[in-house]
Amino acid sequence: MVRRGLRSVALGIALLVGTSHVAAQPDAEPVVVPPAVRTHVDAVYPTSALSGGQHADVTLLVTVDAHGRVTKVEVAQSGGPVLDEAAIVAVRQWTFAPATKGGNPIAARVRIPFHFAPPAPPAPDVAPAPGHAPQGTTVPPPGATQGVSAPSPISIDSHPPGPTIQQPEEVRIHGHAPPPSRGIGDFNMRIGALGAVPRANASEMLKLAPSILLTNDGGDGHAEQIFLRGFDAREGQDIELTVGGVPINEAGNLHGNGYADTHFIIPEVVTSLRVIEGPFDPHQGNFAVAGSADYELGLTKRGLTAKYTRGSFNTERILLTWGPKEESLHTFGAVELHRTDGYGQNRDSSRGSAIGQYEAQFGKRGSYRITTTAYSSTFHSAGVLRNDDYESGRFKFFDAYNPSAPLGGQTSRYSIAGDIETKAGDTLLKQQLFIISRGMRLTENFTGYLLDVQTPIQPLHGQRGDRLDLAVNETTIGARGSARWKTEAFGLPQELELGYFARGDAVTGTQYRIEEATQHPYRLNTDIEAKVGDLGLFADTSLRPLRWITVRGGARADLFSYDVLDKCAAQSVAHPSKTNPPGDTSCLSQQDFGKYREPVQRSTTASAAFMPRATVLFGPFKKITMSMSYGQGVRSIDPIYVSQDTKTPFARVDSYEAGVAYFGGTRDVELSVRSMVFQTKVERDLIFSETAGRNVLGGGTTRTGWIGAMRATGTFFDQSASLTTVRSTFDDTHLLVPYVPDLVMRSDTALFHDMPFKLAGQRVRGVLGAGITYVGHRALPYGQRSDTIFTVDSSASLGWDVFELGVAATNLLGRRYRLGEYNYASDFHTESQATLVPSRHFSAGAPRAFFVSLSATLGGP
Amino acid sequence: MRIARALFVSSFVASLALAASCVGTTGSGLVTFRATASGPSDFDAKQTFASGLGYAVTLTRAKLHVGAVYLNRSVPTSGAQATSCTLPGIYVAEVLDGLDVDVLDPTPQAFPVNGDGTADHASAGEVWLTGGDVTADDDATVILDLAGTASKGGATFPFEGKITIGKNRAVAPADPSQPGSNPMCKQRIVTPIPIDVVPKSGGELRLEIDPRAWFDNVDFARLDKASDTPLLYRFNDAAIEQPDTNLFRALRSASAETYRFRWLP
Repeated sequence: MVRRGLRSVALGIALLVGTSHVAAQPDAEPVVVPPAVRTHVDAVYPTSALSGGQHADVTLLVTVDAHGRVTKVEVAQSGGPVLDEAAIVAVRQWTFAPATKGGNPIAARVRIPFHFAPPAPPAPDVAPAPGHAPQGTTVPPPGATQGVSAPSPISIDSHPPGPTIQQPEEVRIHGHAPPPSRGIGDFNMRIGALGAVPRANASEMLKLAPSILLTNDGGDGHAEQIFLRGFDAREGQDIELTVGGVPINEAGNLHGNGYADTHFIIPEVVTSLRVIEGPFDPHQGNFAVAGSADYELGLTKRGLTAKYTRGSFNTERILLTWGPKEESLHTFGAVELHRTDGYGQNRDSSRGSAIGQYEAQFGKRGSYRITTTAYSSTFHSAGVLRNDDYESGRFKFFDAYNPSAPLGGQTSRYSIAGDIETKAGDTLLKQQLFIISRGMRLTENFTGYLLDVQTPIQPLHGQRGDRLDLAVNETTIGARGSARWKTEAFGLPQELELGYFARGDAVTGTQYRIEEATQHPYRLNTDIEAKVGDLGLFADTSLRPLRWITVRGGARADLFSYDVLDKCAAQSVAHPSKTNPPGDTSCLSQQDFGKYREPVQRSTTASAAFMPRATVLFGPFKKITMSMSYGQGVRSIDPIYVSQDTKTPFARVDSYEAGVAYFGGTRDVELSVRSMVFQTKVERDLIFSETAGRNVLGGGTTRTGWIGAMRATGTFFDQSASLTTVRSTFDDTHLLVPYVPDLVMRSDTALFHDMPFKLAGQRVRGVLGAGITYVGHRALPYGQRSDTIFTVDSSASLGWDVFELGVAATNLLGRRYRLGEYNYASDFHTESQATLVPSRHFSAGAPRAFFVSLSATLGGP
Repeated sequence: MRIARALFVSSFVASLALAASCVGTTGSGLVTFRATASGPSDFDAKQTFASGLGYAVTLTRAKLHVGAVYLNRSVPTSGAQATSCTLPGIYVAEVLDGLDVDVLDPTPQAFPVNGDGTADHASAGEVWLTGGDVTADDDATVILDLAGTASKGGATFPFEGKITIGKNRAVAPADPSQPGSNPMCKQRIVTPIPIDVVPKSGGELRLEIDPRAWFDNVDFARLDKASDTPLLYRFNDAAIEQPDTNLFRALRSASAETYRFRWLP
């Protein structure tokens, strides 16, 4: 190809504005504003067409989603396969400010004509102002400056610039429709340029939503502990996590019911993230107590990309992605291999992940998608360190207690999912099936040598150590589906959706106590088999009685069923047989005075939960929308708490939210600002127990707080920022709930622009990224407060031709901070006598680290 | 627009209010305090006292090695204490480094380290009489080093003793089906000693040890004679003879006559 071939000339933009996919807010004024071109790339005159010297016109029908992304390109008028291809390659790199209808972003299809003319050197090194380039303008010869490179909001042509609105008609979107907003606390976030902010894994993308703090005491392969809106959601127990609608939470996981490990998700293939900070959507299911988060997978960087990263602590990462440019952005393959020695002691890890996804048209009005994932990880963990051991100099900040026998684990996840989305008349039909296989082994020790209590029937022993060796295997099969009917009443669109969710989990879990000196298991704490079922039905409406008011919501009902076989149910006997004492056996087959019993116990039960949810949206009034939301959520009971025929005691949550938001901006800047207050009451909260190594059921709690958030996206920047304050208290004592942060600030910044120089005649694109986190003093047990957390992560990259060279620094300021802090009793045998009273523990935050990456993209646009 | 502005303002006000209200506590508190031990204030060296068996006892040396001190939230129930020496979750305060307490000296003797704890009510105390791991099978540390003279009916019994708590104090389980019912640690922990205090930072925990009750049931006449010249009797540091057995039993008694905790603000 001639890299400096003909500039493309967009002759105009004709809009076909959709009415079926209102993305976020209700529209009071049905004024349609077409998409505006934010950045555009000129088409290159193909070398193979030079000999013909032909002039040709190509017209493309381009679908621009509500985020301004090009999701589909069709050829409306062909100029021949070669020129068609050149135009498609170019337009896929365009970005838009999305079309809006009544101020709300909507998906739309635009008609973009290209005119190709052969190069005729010499050409002037000019950048014509938009609308003033003569049709068929030639371009400079090789080595000269590119004729047109500045982003143009419209086209460059002698024709009248700017979009013209044609007769509105329904847009045909081949892909998934964006979900309707559930209020101001519904954050449907495009990753976009903010992908430049360094993030160790996909979990850290959650920080784009307000109020989220992530910690991790278990190692690289251990799921992050998520704090959200004053909740300690642990590793997913209180937040429903999905990827493309496929559940990530593991029902019945022994380490925590709802444990959700997102590390299988490769960050580069996440295109958007929707976080609802509360149970306000009838689609939200089990574990949506504090809210939910759904990752949308896709690959915006089309072609074959190979990326190699190397950095501090012998960290290496290889990433391969492939997205056929003629296919949907949601069709891709990606493979990641990562290893690191980790900072300090016992923090090494290795992982591999592969994701493949194929999306294509299904019939005339639908699409289907198949997604497969495979992931495996081995990792070690330093665990926690007592502060007095660090202060006394017995241990260094990044040390671990037993370096020769590290904590850590191994995890794996394999899944396949398929879904279909199509329209039948006025009804949007969705159907999804998924199968997940998940394995996890985890060794942890929060308390050292504290819990090995001598019992009378055991031979004499000292404290052998509290190390837990936990193993979980889980197979999940499930489906979800819905039918959303759209009609019109009172001259306004009305919607009704009925749907279901069905999921079955077969779980096995064991948990042994391990002797620290020998690493031999000495006691079996838990050996459980469980079949956990969840059948949910929901009705969701979107009613618009007036132009300026929309009522969304409905109700959801879930039936949770349990069939639990506890294979180590009997662990003590008050009066053992004198002639046949049970000794040190963990699972006893003896009752009082030697009476025989099997150590197993089967329990079956079921219970239903009914959860109303509703959001009322007002506006928009001059781009300002207000909302009020109420919803009930539920967290199902952990199988280990199930007893025969007893109705499972759900933890119910009542959540309220009211807020106001501005969605608007200028032609070049898309701006959203949100402010909201919320209150959430939880019937039975989960409180961390260091002795169990997990959260256990506690009393009722209430959270009241405020969130402010903004995002501004322009032609050379993308800025997101949020501030959250929240007060979390126990209902009975009104004391603070420990560990949850009451002040979280986060800023994500990306700057991107062509550099003021060229290399070998080609543009060099520079990108800067920065993520700043501040977390206030968290309440700790015993009236204590933690240290604050303040970190800055940054990155810089240069893109030239097919190459991109990047550097990144995490914890750029080199602050020594404590990611997790806890007050509880432990005894790690570091004092002359047993330490039995509560003391401060911490897990060290990562020190400053640098990474360099080089990538090349072949066959891209 | 007016509504929107009102909501913006209300949100702003709410944020200020919440920011101001982001104070509070989870309750209780972590405390550090001074820890001391002493003999009784009404008793000193060379003071003669009468034992329960009618001996007039004069102590010239009495040093008790206290390995650690703990305070508990609640008095352990007999069932719980029957099986375990330490019960996670019940401890309010601890003093970890050992101290050889001259129990004939009423002046406070400071433990080498401060005590740590939580600002929670303590209703029982523990004195750990150990030189190392409280669960160890054996321990050669001299826990009690004493000397003195006992007189009764004209007979005088100069005595000395070095008491250890190791294998010599092991108690075989009475029930073979419960081999773990008498762990060594139970021989080394004196509990529950009554106390009624909420530890506070800057205060002082005083352990007062009164040696007089140790000899209440000791029949000095049954002590083994160690030498004739000079005349000397000796506790044999084994749970065999009456004097040694009863002395050790009294040493481990959590009676308030022997061990008293006081909190000094």
